[in-house]
Amino acid sequence: MTNPVQVPTNVLIVGVGGQGVIMVSKVLATLCQNHGYAVKQSEVHGMAKRGGAVFSHVRFGPQVWSPTIPEGEADVLVALEWAEGLRWLSFLKPDTGTFIADCQRIVPPFACRNRGRGAEASYAPQTPEEIIQQVHAGYAMDATTMATNLGNLRAANTVLLGALSTALDFAVDDWLATIPQFVPPASIDINLAAFAAGREWALAGEKRVDANAEGPHVSYTEIRHAQVDTVVEIVEERCKGCDICVKLCPERCLRLNDSLVAELVLPDLCTGCHMCEWLCPDFAISVTNTPVPEPA
Amino acid sequence: MKDVDVLDDFDIEDYIRQDQMPHFLCPGCGHGIALRALMWAIHDLAIPKDKLAVVSGIGCSGRLSGYVDASTFHTTHGRPLAFATGLALARPDLHVIVISGDGDCLAIGGNHMIHSCRRNLNMTCMMLNNEIYGMTGGQVSPTTSSDRFTTTTPAGNTEPVFDACALAAAAGASFVGREVTLQILALRELLRDAIANDGFSFVEVISDCTEIYGRKNDLGASPEMMMSQKSSMRPFAYRNTVDVPFRPTGLKTGVLAKTDRPEYGKAYRAMTEKLRGKKGRG
Repeated sequence: MTNPVQVPTNVLIVGVGGQGVIMVSKVLATLCQNHGYAVKQSEVHGMAKRGGAVFSHVRFGPQVWSPTIPEGEADVLVALEWAEGLRWLSFLKPDTGTFIADCQRIVPPFACRNRGRGAEASYAPQTPEEIIQQVHAGYAMDATTMATNLGNLRAANTVLLGALSTALDFAVDDWLATIPQFVPPASIDINLAAFAAGREWALAGEKRVDANAEGPHVSYTEIRHAQVDTVVEIVEERCKGCDICVKLCPERCLRLNDSLVAELVLPDLCTGCHMCEWLCPDFAISVTNTPVPEPA
Repeated sequence: MKDVDVLDDFDIEDYIRQDQMPHFLCPGCGHGIALRALMWAIHDLAIPKDKLAVVSGIGCSGRLSGYVDASTFHTTHGRPLAFATGLALARPDLHVIVISGDGDCLAIGGNHMIHSCRRNLNMTCMMLNNEIYGMTGGQVSPTTSSDRFTTTTPAGNTEPVFDACALAAAAGASFVGREVTLQILALRELLRDAIANDGFSFVEVISDCTEIYGRKNDLGASPEMMMSQKSSMRPFAYRNTVDVPFRPTGLKTGVLAKTDRPEYGKAYRAMTEKLRGKKGRG
Protein backbone atom coordinates (compact mmCIF):
# COMPACT_ATOMS: atom_id res chain seq x y z
CA MET A 1 0.00 0.00 0.00
CA THR A 2 1.14 3.56 -0.68
CA ASN A 3 2.34 5.45 2.33
CA PRO A 4 -0.37 8.05 2.94
CA VAL A 5 2.18 10.50 4.28
CA GLN A 6 3.44 11.35 0.77
CA VAL A 7 0.83 10.47 -1.80
CA PRO A 8 -2.96 10.33 -1.37
CA THR A 9 -4.45 6.94 -0.74
CA ASN A 10 -7.42 6.20 -2.99
CA VAL A 11 -10.37 4.10 -1.92
CA LEU A 12 -13.20 3.55 -4.37
CA ILE A 13 -16.48 2.24 -3.00
CA VAL A 14 -19.11 1.05 -5.47
CA GLY A 15 -22.46 -0.66 -5.20
CA VAL A 16 -26.15 -0.40 -5.82
CA GLY A 17 -28.44 2.25 -4.40
CA GLY A 18 -29.71 1.32 -0.94
CA GLN A 19 -26.80 -0.91 0.05
CA GLY A 20 -24.91 1.64 2.12
CA VAL A 21 -22.10 2.81 -0.16
CA ILE A 22 -22.30 6.33 1.22
CA MET A 23 -22.27 5.09 4.81
CA VAL A 24 -19.02 3.18 4.18
CA SER A 25 -17.39 6.21 2.61
CA LYS A 26 -18.56 8.49 5.42
CA VAL A 27 -17.05 6.21 8.07
CA LEU A 28 -13.79 6.10 6.17
CA ALA A 29 -13.68 9.84 5.51
CA THR A 30 -14.43 10.69 9.13
CA LEU A 31 -11.79 8.28 10.36
CA CYS A 32 -9.18 9.84 8.08
CA GLN A 33 -10.18 13.31 9.14
CA ASN A 34 -9.78 12.36 12.79
CA HIS A 35 -6.25 11.23 11.98
CA GLY A 36 -5.44 14.68 10.61
CA TYR A 37 -5.39 13.81 6.90
CA ALA A 38 -6.82 15.98 4.20
CA VAL A 39 -9.82 14.09 2.80
CA LYS A 40 -11.79 14.56 -0.37
CA GLN A 41 -14.87 12.51 -1.03
CA SER A 42 -16.97 12.66 -4.16
CA GLU A 43 -19.96 10.56 -4.92
CA VAL A 44 -22.72 10.03 -7.41
CA HIS A 45 -25.88 8.78 -5.84
CA GLY A 46 -28.75 11.17 -6.52
CA MET A 47 -30.13 9.75 -9.74
CA ALA A 48 -29.46 6.15 -8.78
CA LYS A 49 -32.13 6.08 -6.08
CA ARG A 50 -32.72 2.57 -4.88
CA GLY A 51 -31.44 0.00 -7.32
CA GLY A 52 -29.21 2.20 -9.47
CA ALA A 53 -25.43 2.34 -9.59
CA VAL A 54 -23.74 4.31 -6.81
CA PHE A 55 -20.06 5.07 -6.40
CA SER A 56 -18.02 7.08 -3.97
CA HIS A 57 -14.39 8.18 -4.28
CA VAL A 58 -12.49 8.73 -1.03
CA ARG A 59 -8.99 10.20 -1.23
CA PHE A 60 -6.90 11.02 1.80
CA GLY A 61 -3.31 12.09 2.46
CA PRO A 62 -1.27 15.14 3.54
CA GLN A 63 -2.65 17.09 0.61
CA VAL A 64 -5.38 16.10 -1.85
CA TRP A 65 -6.04 18.20 -4.93
CA SER A 66 -8.57 16.39 -7.07
CA PRO A 67 -11.65 14.74 -5.58
CA THR A 68 -11.84 11.93 -8.13
CA ILE A 69 -9.60 8.92 -8.57
CA PRO A 70 -8.03 8.50 -12.03
CA GLU A 71 -8.38 5.17 -13.77
CA GLY A 72 -5.85 2.64 -12.56
CA GLU A 73 -5.04 4.60 -9.39
CA ALA A 74 -7.32 3.12 -6.72
CA ASP A 75 -5.49 1.41 -3.88
CA VAL A 76 -8.62 -0.33 -2.64
CA LEU A 77 -11.83 -1.07 -4.50
CA VAL A 78 -14.75 -2.02 -2.27
CA ALA A 79 -17.70 -3.46 -4.18
CA LEU A 80 -20.97 -4.03 -2.41
CA GLU A 81 -22.33 -5.79 -5.47
CA TRP A 82 -20.39 -8.20 -7.66
CA ALA A 83 -21.07 -6.81 -11.15
CA GLU A 84 -20.54 -3.23 -9.98
CA GLY A 85 -17.15 -4.30 -8.73
CA LEU A 86 -16.25 -5.76 -12.12
CA ARG A 87 -17.39 -2.59 -13.89
CA TRP A 88 -14.94 -0.52 -11.84
CA LEU A 89 -12.09 -3.05 -11.83
CA SER A 90 -10.05 -0.97 -14.30
CA PHE A 91 -9.76 1.76 -11.65
CA LEU A 92 -7.76 -0.55 -9.39
CA LYS A 93 -3.95 -0.26 -9.40
CA PRO A 94 -2.94 -3.26 -11.50
CA ASP A 95 0.12 -4.25 -9.46
CA THR A 96 -0.70 -3.26 -5.87
CA GLY A 97 -4.49 -2.78 -5.64
CA THR A 98 -6.77 -4.65 -3.27
CA PHE A 99 -10.18 -5.80 -4.42
CA ILE A 100 -12.82 -6.42 -1.74
CA ALA A 101 -16.18 -7.57 -3.07
CA ASP A 102 -19.43 -8.98 -1.86
CA CYS A 103 -20.54 -11.77 -4.16
CA GLN A 104 -24.14 -10.74 -3.84
CA ARG A 105 -25.75 -10.40 -7.25
CA ILE A 106 -28.31 -7.72 -7.93
CA VAL A 107 -29.21 -8.15 -11.58
CA PRO A 108 -29.94 -4.80 -13.20
CA PRO A 109 -32.75 -4.39 -15.74
CA PHE A 110 -30.34 -3.87 -18.64
CA ALA A 111 -28.99 -7.37 -18.10
CA CYS A 112 -32.45 -8.64 -19.03
CA ARG A 113 -32.74 -6.96 -22.41
CA ASN A 114 -33.77 -10.16 -24.12
CA ARG A 115 -37.35 -10.34 -22.91
CA GLY A 116 -38.14 -13.66 -24.53
CA ARG A 117 -39.29 -16.26 -22.09
CA GLY A 118 -36.51 -18.58 -21.08
CA ALA A 119 -33.90 -16.02 -22.14
CA GLU A 120 -30.82 -15.76 -19.97
CA ALA A 121 -29.87 -12.58 -18.17
CA SER A 122 -26.55 -11.25 -19.45
CA TYR A 123 -25.05 -10.75 -16.01
CA ALA A 124 -21.29 -10.84 -15.53
CA PRO A 125 -20.31 -14.40 -16.45
CA GLN A 126 -16.89 -14.44 -14.69
CA THR A 127 -16.69 -16.52 -11.55
CA PRO A 128 -15.22 -14.96 -8.38
CA GLU A 129 -12.25 -17.38 -8.63
CA GLU A 130 -11.31 -16.08 -12.07
CA ILE A 131 -11.43 -12.46 -10.97
CA ILE A 132 -9.56 -12.95 -7.71
CA GLN A 133 -6.71 -14.63 -9.61
CA GLN A 134 -6.36 -11.53 -11.79
CA VAL A 135 -5.92 -8.95 -9.01
CA HIS A 136 -2.95 -8.35 -6.72
CA ALA A 137 -4.94 -8.93 -3.54
CA GLY A 138 -8.57 -9.91 -3.51
CA TYR A 139 -11.34 -10.99 -1.22
CA ALA A 140 -14.59 -12.35 -2.65
CA MET A 141 -16.79 -12.49 0.39
CA ASP A 142 -20.32 -13.52 1.00
CA ALA A 143 -20.95 -10.50 3.18
CA THR A 144 -24.69 -10.66 2.73
CA THR A 145 -24.93 -14.14 4.23
CA MET A 146 -22.55 -13.17 7.02
CA ALA A 147 -24.73 -10.17 7.85
CA THR A 148 -27.91 -12.22 7.57
CA ASN A 149 -26.51 -14.79 9.98
CA LEU A 150 -25.73 -11.99 12.40
CA GLY A 151 -29.36 -10.93 12.23
CA ASN A 152 -29.57 -8.07 9.75
CA LEU A 153 -28.94 -8.26 6.03
CA ARG A 154 -28.39 -4.51 5.90
CA ALA A 155 -25.14 -4.79 7.87
CA ALA A 156 -23.42 -6.32 4.81
CA ASN A 157 -21.70 -3.00 4.14
CA THR A 158 -20.17 -3.06 7.63
CA VAL A 159 -18.85 -6.59 6.98
CA LEU A 160 -17.00 -5.17 3.97
CA LEU A 161 -15.84 -2.27 6.12
CA GLY A 162 -14.25 -4.86 8.39
CA ALA A 163 -12.41 -6.34 5.42
CA LEU A 164 -11.39 -2.84 4.31
CA SER A 165 -9.89 -2.17 7.74
CA THR A 166 -7.27 -4.86 7.09
CA ALA A 167 -6.08 -3.02 3.98
CA LEU A 168 -5.57 0.36 5.66
CA ASP A 169 -3.27 1.37 8.53
CA PHE A 170 -5.74 2.46 11.16
CA ALA A 171 -6.17 0.93 14.61
CA VAL A 172 -9.16 -1.30 15.10
CA ASP A 173 -10.38 0.77 18.04
CA ASP A 174 -10.53 3.88 15.86
CA TRP A 175 -12.77 2.07 13.40
CA LEU A 176 -14.97 0.77 16.20
CA ALA A 177 -15.28 4.28 17.62
CA THR A 178 -16.31 5.78 14.26
CA ILE A 179 -18.92 3.28 13.10
CA PRO A 180 -21.53 4.08 15.81
CA GLN A 181 -21.73 7.68 14.58
CA PHE A 182 -23.20 6.54 11.28
CA VAL A 183 -25.60 3.74 12.16
CA PRO A 184 -28.97 3.91 13.93
CA PRO A 185 -28.61 3.47 17.72
CA ALA A 186 -30.58 0.21 17.72
CA SER A 187 -28.20 -1.46 15.27
CA ILE A 188 -24.83 -0.40 16.74
CA ASP A 189 -24.16 -3.82 18.29
CA ILE A 190 -24.95 -5.75 15.15
CA ASN A 191 -22.78 -3.43 13.05
CA LEU A 192 -19.83 -3.84 15.41
CA ALA A 193 -20.27 -7.60 15.25
CA ALA A 194 -20.46 -7.42 11.45
CA PHE A 195 -17.27 -5.36 11.37
CA ALA A 196 -15.48 -7.95 13.51
CA ALA A 197 -16.73 -10.79 11.34
CA GLY A 198 -15.57 -9.11 8.13
CA ARG A 199 -12.16 -8.27 9.60
CA GLU A 200 -11.67 -11.79 10.91
CA TRP A 201 -12.59 -13.27 7.52
CA ALA A 202 -10.17 -11.00 5.64
CA LEU A 203 -7.28 -11.58 8.09
CA ALA A 204 -7.46 -15.32 7.39
CA GLY A 205 -5.60 -14.79 4.11
CA GLU A 206 -5.47 -12.99 0.81
CA LYS A 207 -6.90 -14.06 -2.52
CA ARG A 208 -9.77 -15.86 -0.93
CA VAL A 209 -13.15 -16.74 -2.28
CA ASP A 210 -15.94 -17.57 0.10
CA ALA A 211 -17.22 -21.10 -0.25
CA ASN A 212 -20.79 -19.79 -0.54
CA ALA A 213 -19.71 -17.03 -2.89
CA GLU A 214 -22.27 -17.81 -5.51
CA GLY A 215 -24.68 -19.07 -2.93
CA PRO A 216 -28.26 -18.22 -2.22
CA HIS A 217 -28.33 -14.59 -3.34
CA VAL A 218 -29.93 -15.08 -6.69
CA SER A 219 -32.01 -12.10 -7.56
CA TYR A 220 -35.61 -12.75 -8.56
CA THR A 221 -34.88 -11.48 -12.07
CA GLU A 222 -32.73 -14.55 -12.57
CA ILE A 223 -35.60 -16.94 -12.03
CA ARG A 224 -36.07 -18.33 -15.48
CA HIS A 225 -39.44 -19.04 -16.94
CA ALA A 226 -39.93 -22.36 -18.63
CA GLN A 227 -39.14 -22.05 -22.29
CA VAL A 228 -42.30 -21.85 -24.35
CA ASP A 229 -43.46 -21.99 -27.94
CA THR A 230 -45.74 -19.06 -28.60
CA VAL A 231 -48.46 -19.22 -31.21
CA VAL A 232 -50.40 -16.05 -32.02
CA GLU A 233 -53.62 -16.74 -33.86
CA ILE A 234 -55.46 -13.83 -35.44
CA VAL A 235 -59.00 -14.41 -36.68
CA GLU A 236 -59.21 -12.29 -39.83
CA GLU A 237 -63.00 -12.19 -39.90
CA ARG A 238 -63.10 -10.52 -36.48
CA CYS A 239 -60.23 -8.04 -36.86
CA LYS A 240 -61.46 -4.52 -37.58
CA GLY A 241 -58.00 -2.98 -37.97
CA CYS A 242 -58.26 -0.70 -34.91
CA ASP A 243 -54.46 -0.62 -34.47
CA ILE A 244 -54.59 -1.26 -30.69
CA CYS A 245 -52.50 -4.44 -30.82
CA VAL A 246 -50.03 -2.88 -33.25
CA LYS A 247 -49.41 0.22 -31.16
CA LEU A 248 -49.56 -1.36 -27.71
CA CYS A 249 -47.44 -4.47 -28.34
CA PRO A 250 -44.35 -4.00 -26.13
CA GLU A 251 -42.14 -5.65 -28.76
CA ARG A 252 -43.83 -4.02 -31.78
CA CYS A 253 -44.04 -7.29 -33.65
CA LEU A 254 -47.47 -6.78 -35.22
CA ARG A 255 -48.45 -4.74 -38.28
CA LEU A 256 -51.63 -3.97 -40.17
CA ASN A 257 -51.49 -5.51 -43.63
CA ASP A 258 -52.90 -4.00 -46.82
CA SER A 259 -56.42 -5.14 -46.04
CA LEU A 260 -56.13 -3.55 -42.54
CA VAL A 261 -55.95 -6.84 -40.69
CA ALA A 262 -53.42 -7.34 -37.93
CA GLU A 263 -50.59 -9.68 -38.78
CA LEU A 264 -47.67 -11.03 -36.78
CA VAL A 265 -44.67 -9.95 -38.88
CA LEU A 266 -41.83 -10.43 -36.40
CA PRO A 267 -42.64 -13.69 -34.63
CA ASP A 268 -39.11 -14.00 -33.28
CA LEU A 269 -39.55 -10.89 -31.14
CA CYS A 270 -42.85 -12.07 -29.67
CA THR A 271 -42.47 -12.95 -26.00
CA GLY A 272 -45.97 -14.36 -25.59
CA CYS A 273 -46.97 -11.64 -23.13
CA HIS A 274 -50.66 -11.77 -24.12
CA MET A 275 -50.98 -7.97 -24.32
CA CYS A 276 -52.49 -8.06 -27.81
CA GLU A 277 -54.90 -10.79 -26.81
CA TRP A 278 -56.09 -8.96 -23.72
CA LEU A 279 -56.48 -5.56 -25.35
CA CYS A 280 -58.17 -6.75 -28.54
CA PRO A 281 -61.71 -5.37 -28.29
CA ASP A 282 -62.88 -7.76 -30.99
CA PHE A 283 -61.60 -11.00 -29.40
CA ALA A 284 -59.72 -11.66 -32.62
CA ILE A 285 -56.33 -12.61 -31.15
CA SER A 286 -55.44 -15.63 -29.11
CA VAL A 287 -51.95 -16.25 -27.74
CA THR A 288 -51.03 -19.76 -26.71
CA ASN A 289 -47.82 -20.63 -24.92
CA THR A 290 -46.96 -24.30 -24.85
CA PRO A 291 -43.98 -25.47 -22.83
CA VAL A 292 -41.00 -26.75 -24.74
CA PRO A 293 -39.95 -30.14 -23.40
CA GLU A 294 -36.60 -29.98 -21.59
CA PRO A 295 -33.80 -31.54 -23.64
CA ALA A 296 -32.91 -34.86 -22.02
CA MET B 1 -55.96 -25.34 -19.33
CA LYS B 2 -54.57 -24.04 -22.55
CA ASP B 3 -51.40 -22.40 -21.29
CA VAL B 4 -48.53 -22.78 -18.92
CA ASP B 5 -49.02 -19.70 -16.81
CA VAL B 6 -51.79 -19.46 -14.29
CA LEU B 7 -53.37 -16.38 -15.81
CA ASP B 8 -54.28 -18.18 -18.93
CA ASP B 9 -56.83 -20.83 -18.22
CA PHE B 10 -59.38 -18.17 -19.16
CA ASP B 11 -60.67 -18.30 -22.72
CA ILE B 12 -63.11 -15.59 -23.74
CA GLU B 13 -64.59 -17.92 -26.36
CA ASP B 14 -66.20 -19.97 -23.58
CA TYR B 15 -68.18 -16.96 -22.42
CA ILE B 16 -69.44 -15.29 -25.58
CA ARG B 17 -72.12 -16.29 -28.06
CA GLN B 18 -70.15 -17.44 -31.07
CA ASP B 19 -73.04 -16.95 -33.49
CA GLN B 20 -73.13 -13.22 -32.62
CA MET B 21 -69.50 -12.61 -33.50
CA PRO B 22 -68.00 -10.39 -34.77
CA HIS B 23 -69.76 -7.88 -32.57
CA PHE B 24 -71.21 -4.62 -33.85
CA LEU B 25 -68.85 -2.26 -31.96
CA CYS B 26 -66.75 0.19 -33.99
CA PRO B 27 -63.04 -0.53 -34.53
CA GLY B 28 -61.10 0.34 -31.39
CA CYS B 29 -64.08 0.66 -29.06
CA GLY B 30 -62.99 0.01 -25.48
CA HIS B 31 -66.26 -1.72 -24.62
CA GLY B 32 -64.93 -5.00 -25.97
CA ILE B 33 -61.98 -4.84 -23.59
CA ALA B 34 -64.30 -4.08 -20.68
CA LEU B 35 -66.44 -7.07 -21.63
CA ARG B 36 -63.37 -9.30 -21.61
CA ALA B 37 -62.37 -8.01 -18.17
CA LEU B 38 -65.89 -8.67 -16.87
CA MET B 39 -65.96 -12.21 -18.24
CA TRP B 40 -62.49 -12.80 -16.86
CA ALA B 41 -63.61 -11.69 -13.40
CA ILE B 42 -66.61 -14.01 -13.64
CA HIS B 43 -64.30 -16.82 -14.66
CA ASP B 44 -62.02 -16.08 -11.68
CA LEU B 45 -64.98 -16.28 -9.31
CA ALA B 46 -66.10 -19.55 -10.96
CA ILE B 47 -69.67 -18.35 -11.33
CA PRO B 48 -71.66 -20.91 -13.35
CA LYS B 49 -73.41 -19.52 -16.40
CA ASP B 50 -76.88 -20.42 -15.16
CA LYS B 51 -76.27 -18.36 -12.01
CA LEU B 52 -75.22 -15.30 -13.97
CA ALA B 53 -77.68 -12.65 -15.14
CA VAL B 54 -76.42 -9.77 -17.25
CA VAL B 55 -78.82 -6.84 -17.62
CA SER B 56 -78.23 -3.90 -19.90
CA GLY B 57 -80.04 -0.84 -21.18
CA ILE B 58 -79.85 0.94 -24.51
CA GLY B 59 -76.78 2.20 -26.28
CA CYS B 60 -73.47 0.74 -27.33
CA SER B 61 -73.02 -0.64 -23.81
CA GLY B 62 -76.54 -2.05 -23.91
CA ARG B 63 -75.66 -4.33 -26.77
CA LEU B 64 -72.95 -6.08 -24.77
CA SER B 65 -75.40 -8.27 -22.86
CA GLY B 66 -76.36 -9.87 -26.15
CA TYR B 67 -72.83 -11.23 -26.58
CA VAL B 68 -72.62 -12.89 -23.18
CA ASP B 69 -73.40 -16.58 -23.13
CA ALA B 70 -75.53 -16.51 -19.95
CA SER B 71 -78.97 -15.32 -18.87
CA THR B 72 -79.15 -11.86 -20.37
CA PHE B 73 -81.74 -9.14 -20.37
CA HIS B 74 -81.76 -6.21 -22.79
CA THR B 75 -84.04 -3.57 -21.26
CA THR B 76 -85.27 -0.05 -21.89
CA HIS B 77 -83.13 3.07 -21.97
CA GLY B 78 -81.87 4.03 -18.53
CA ARG B 79 -83.79 1.32 -16.69
CA PRO B 80 -81.45 -1.68 -16.46
CA LEU B 81 -80.97 -1.01 -12.74
CA ALA B 82 -84.74 -0.99 -12.18
CA PHE B 83 -85.15 -4.30 -14.02
CA ALA B 84 -82.14 -5.73 -12.22
CA THR B 85 -83.57 -4.68 -8.85
CA GLY B 86 -86.65 -6.81 -9.48
CA LEU B 87 -84.50 -9.66 -10.70
CA ALA B 88 -82.18 -9.56 -7.69
CA LEU B 89 -85.10 -9.43 -5.24
CA ALA B 90 -86.90 -12.33 -6.90
CA ARG B 91 -83.83 -14.48 -7.48
CA PRO B 92 -81.25 -13.84 -4.74
CA ASP B 93 -79.32 -16.90 -5.95
CA LEU B 94 -78.32 -15.10 -9.17
CA HIS B 95 -75.27 -12.91 -9.63
CA VAL B 96 -76.85 -9.86 -11.21
CA ILE B 97 -74.54 -7.68 -13.29
CA VAL B 98 -75.71 -4.50 -14.95
CA ILE B 99 -73.85 -3.10 -17.95
CA SER B 100 -74.75 0.50 -18.51
CA GLY B 101 -73.36 3.51 -20.30
CA ASP B 102 -72.71 7.00 -19.05
CA GLY B 103 -75.84 8.46 -20.66
CA ASP B 104 -77.90 5.42 -19.79
CA CYS B 105 -76.81 5.36 -16.15
CA LEU B 106 -76.31 9.01 -15.24
CA ALA B 107 -78.72 10.97 -17.41
CA ILE B 108 -81.71 8.92 -18.48
CA GLY B 109 -81.47 6.48 -15.60
CA GLY B 110 -79.89 8.85 -13.10
CA ASN B 111 -82.69 8.47 -10.62
CA HIS B 112 -82.59 4.70 -10.78
CA MET B 113 -78.88 4.80 -10.24
CA ILE B 114 -78.94 6.88 -7.06
CA HIS B 115 -81.78 4.82 -5.58
CA SER B 116 -80.03 1.57 -6.41
CA CYS B 117 -77.01 2.91 -4.55
CA ARG B 118 -79.23 3.93 -1.66
CA ARG B 119 -80.90 0.51 -1.38
CA ASN B 120 -77.58 -1.30 -1.55
CA LEU B 121 -79.10 -4.39 -3.13
CA ASN B 122 -76.62 -7.12 -4.01
CA MET B 123 -75.68 -6.45 -7.62
CA THR B 124 -72.86 -4.99 -9.66
CA CYS B 125 -73.20 -2.05 -12.01
CA MET B 126 -70.43 -1.67 -14.60
CA MET B 127 -70.81 1.78 -16.11
CA LEU B 128 -68.88 2.20 -19.35
CA ASN B 129 -67.99 5.86 -19.56
CA ASN B 130 -67.05 6.92 -23.07
CA GLU B 131 -68.19 10.52 -22.52
CA ILE B 132 -70.77 10.41 -25.29
CA TYR B 133 -74.08 8.99 -26.50
CA GLY B 134 -72.46 6.95 -29.23
CA MET B 135 -75.24 4.88 -30.71
CA THR B 136 -77.93 7.56 -30.73
CA GLY B 137 -75.81 9.93 -32.78
CA GLY B 138 -73.11 11.51 -30.67
CA GLN B 139 -75.03 13.77 -28.32
CA VAL B 140 -73.49 15.36 -25.24
CA SER B 141 -73.65 13.24 -22.09
CA PRO B 142 -73.29 14.19 -18.41
CA THR B 143 -69.67 13.04 -18.46
CA THR B 144 -68.53 14.80 -21.64
CA SER B 145 -65.45 16.83 -20.72
CA SER B 146 -65.68 20.57 -21.02
CA ASP B 147 -64.94 22.22 -24.39
CA ARG B 148 -65.43 18.95 -26.28
CA PHE B 149 -67.44 18.97 -29.50
CA THR B 150 -70.47 16.74 -29.94
CA THR B 151 -73.42 16.87 -32.32
CA THR B 152 -75.46 18.80 -29.74
CA THR B 153 -72.60 21.03 -28.63
CA PRO B 154 -71.16 22.16 -31.97
CA ALA B 155 -69.32 25.05 -30.32
CA GLY B 156 -67.94 23.00 -27.43
CA ASN B 157 -69.46 21.66 -24.23
CA THR B 158 -69.93 24.18 -21.44
CA GLU B 159 -71.79 21.97 -18.97
CA PRO B 160 -70.08 20.86 -15.78
CA VAL B 161 -69.00 17.21 -15.74
CA PHE B 162 -70.48 14.57 -13.47
CA ASP B 163 -68.13 12.47 -11.33
CA ALA B 164 -70.07 9.20 -11.35
CA CYS B 165 -68.02 7.56 -8.60
CA ALA B 166 -68.41 10.48 -6.22
CA LEU B 167 -72.16 10.38 -6.89
CA ALA B 168 -72.38 6.63 -6.27
CA ALA B 169 -70.37 6.85 -3.08
CA ALA B 170 -72.45 9.74 -1.78
CA ALA B 171 -75.66 7.90 -2.62
CA GLY B 172 -74.51 4.94 -0.54
CA ALA B 173 -73.09 2.27 -2.85
CA SER B 174 -71.06 -0.11 -0.70
CA PHE B 175 -68.30 -0.58 -3.29
CA VAL B 176 -67.19 2.10 -5.74
CA GLY B 177 -64.25 1.83 -8.10
CA ARG B 178 -62.87 3.20 -11.34
CA GLU B 179 -60.41 1.87 -13.89
CA VAL B 180 -59.33 2.50 -17.47
CA THR B 181 -59.59 -0.17 -20.15
CA LEU B 182 -55.86 -0.15 -20.84
CA GLN B 183 -55.23 -1.55 -17.35
CA ILE B 184 -57.19 -4.69 -18.05
CA LEU B 185 -55.62 -6.76 -15.28
CA ALA B 186 -56.42 -4.09 -12.69
CA LEU B 187 -59.90 -3.76 -14.15
CA ARG B 188 -60.43 -7.49 -13.90
CA GLU B 189 -59.35 -7.44 -10.27
CA LEU B 190 -61.61 -4.49 -9.52
CA LEU B 191 -64.59 -6.18 -11.13
CA ARG B 192 -63.83 -9.38 -9.26
CA ASP B 193 -63.89 -7.53 -5.95
CA ALA B 194 -67.03 -5.69 -7.01
CA ILE B 195 -68.93 -8.87 -7.87
CA ALA B 196 -67.75 -10.55 -4.67
CA ASN B 197 -68.93 -7.58 -2.60
CA ASP B 198 -72.19 -8.17 -0.76
CA GLY B 199 -74.16 -5.06 -1.67
CA PHE B 200 -74.42 -2.60 -4.52
CA SER B 201 -71.11 -2.27 -6.35
CA PHE B 202 -70.51 0.51 -8.83
CA VAL B 203 -67.56 0.33 -11.21
CA GLU B 204 -66.86 3.10 -13.68
CA VAL B 205 -64.82 1.93 -16.66
CA ILE B 206 -63.22 4.72 -18.66
CA SER B 207 -63.71 3.53 -22.23
CA ASP B 208 -62.94 5.20 -25.53
CA CYS B 209 -65.27 6.15 -28.34
CA THR B 210 -62.97 6.53 -31.29
CA GLU B 211 -65.36 6.95 -34.19
CA ILE B 212 -67.86 9.44 -32.86
CA TYR B 213 -66.12 11.23 -30.01
CA GLY B 214 -62.39 10.89 -30.64
CA ARG B 215 -62.57 11.75 -34.31
CA LYS B 216 -64.68 14.87 -33.75
CA ASN B 217 -62.36 16.09 -31.01
CA ASP B 218 -59.09 15.15 -32.66
CA LEU B 219 -58.12 12.81 -29.84
CA GLY B 220 -56.32 10.35 -32.09
CA ALA B 221 -57.04 6.70 -32.74
CA SER B 222 -57.96 4.29 -29.99
CA PRO B 223 -54.40 3.40 -28.88
CA GLU B 224 -53.65 7.09 -28.37
CA MET B 225 -56.94 7.63 -26.56
CA MET B 226 -56.32 4.67 -24.28
CA MET B 227 -52.81 5.83 -23.46
CA SER B 228 -53.92 9.38 -22.72
CA GLN B 229 -56.76 8.14 -20.53
CA LYS B 230 -54.33 6.09 -18.55
CA SER B 231 -51.85 8.91 -18.14
CA SER B 232 -54.52 11.36 -17.01
CA MET B 233 -55.55 9.06 -14.18
CA ARG B 234 -53.99 9.06 -10.80
CA PRO B 235 -53.42 5.48 -9.67
CA PHE B 236 -54.40 4.49 -6.17
CA ALA B 237 -50.85 3.84 -5.01
CA TYR B 238 -49.70 7.34 -5.94
CA ARG B 239 -52.74 9.12 -4.69
CA ASN B 240 -51.07 10.83 -1.78
CA THR B 241 -47.56 11.04 -3.13
CA VAL B 242 -47.84 12.59 -6.58
CA ASP B 243 -48.74 16.21 -6.41
CA VAL B 244 -51.51 17.77 -8.43
CA PRO B 245 -49.36 19.75 -10.90
CA PHE B 246 -48.19 16.52 -12.52
CA ARG B 247 -51.69 15.41 -13.38
CA PRO B 248 -54.11 17.43 -15.46
CA THR B 249 -57.11 15.79 -13.85
CA GLY B 250 -57.69 14.62 -10.34
CA LEU B 251 -59.54 11.46 -11.34
CA LYS B 252 -58.48 8.47 -9.31
CA THR B 253 -58.51 4.80 -10.19
CA GLY B 254 -58.83 1.76 -7.99
CA VAL B 255 -61.28 1.19 -5.14
CA LEU B 256 -62.62 4.60 -4.21
CA ALA B 257 -65.17 3.74 -1.51
CA LYS B 258 -66.04 0.65 0.48
CA THR B 259 -68.57 0.54 3.30
CA ASP B 260 -70.29 -2.17 5.34
CA ARG B 261 -73.81 -0.90 4.91
CA PRO B 262 -76.50 -3.60 5.35
CA GLU B 263 -77.52 -5.28 2.13
CA TYR B 264 -81.15 -4.58 1.20
CA GLY B 265 -82.13 -8.05 -0.05
CA LYS B 266 -81.54 -9.63 3.35
CA ALA B 267 -83.71 -7.06 5.11
CA TYR B 268 -86.39 -7.54 2.48
CA ARG B 269 -86.40 -11.30 2.81
CA ALA B 270 -86.44 -11.11 6.60
CA MET B 271 -89.50 -8.89 6.35
CA THR B 272 -91.32 -11.29 4.02
CA GLU B 273 -90.53 -14.21 6.29
CA LYS B 274 -91.89 -12.28 9.26
CA LEU B 275 -95.10 -11.42 7.48
CA ARG B 276 -95.56 -14.98 6.30
CA GLY B 277 -95.11 -16.15 9.88
CA LYS B 278 -97.84 -13.79 11.06
CA LYS B 279 -100.30 -15.24 8.60
CA GLY B 280 -99.45 -18.70 9.81
CA ARG B 281 -98.12 -19.91 6.49
CA GLY B 282 -94.98 -21.86 5.71
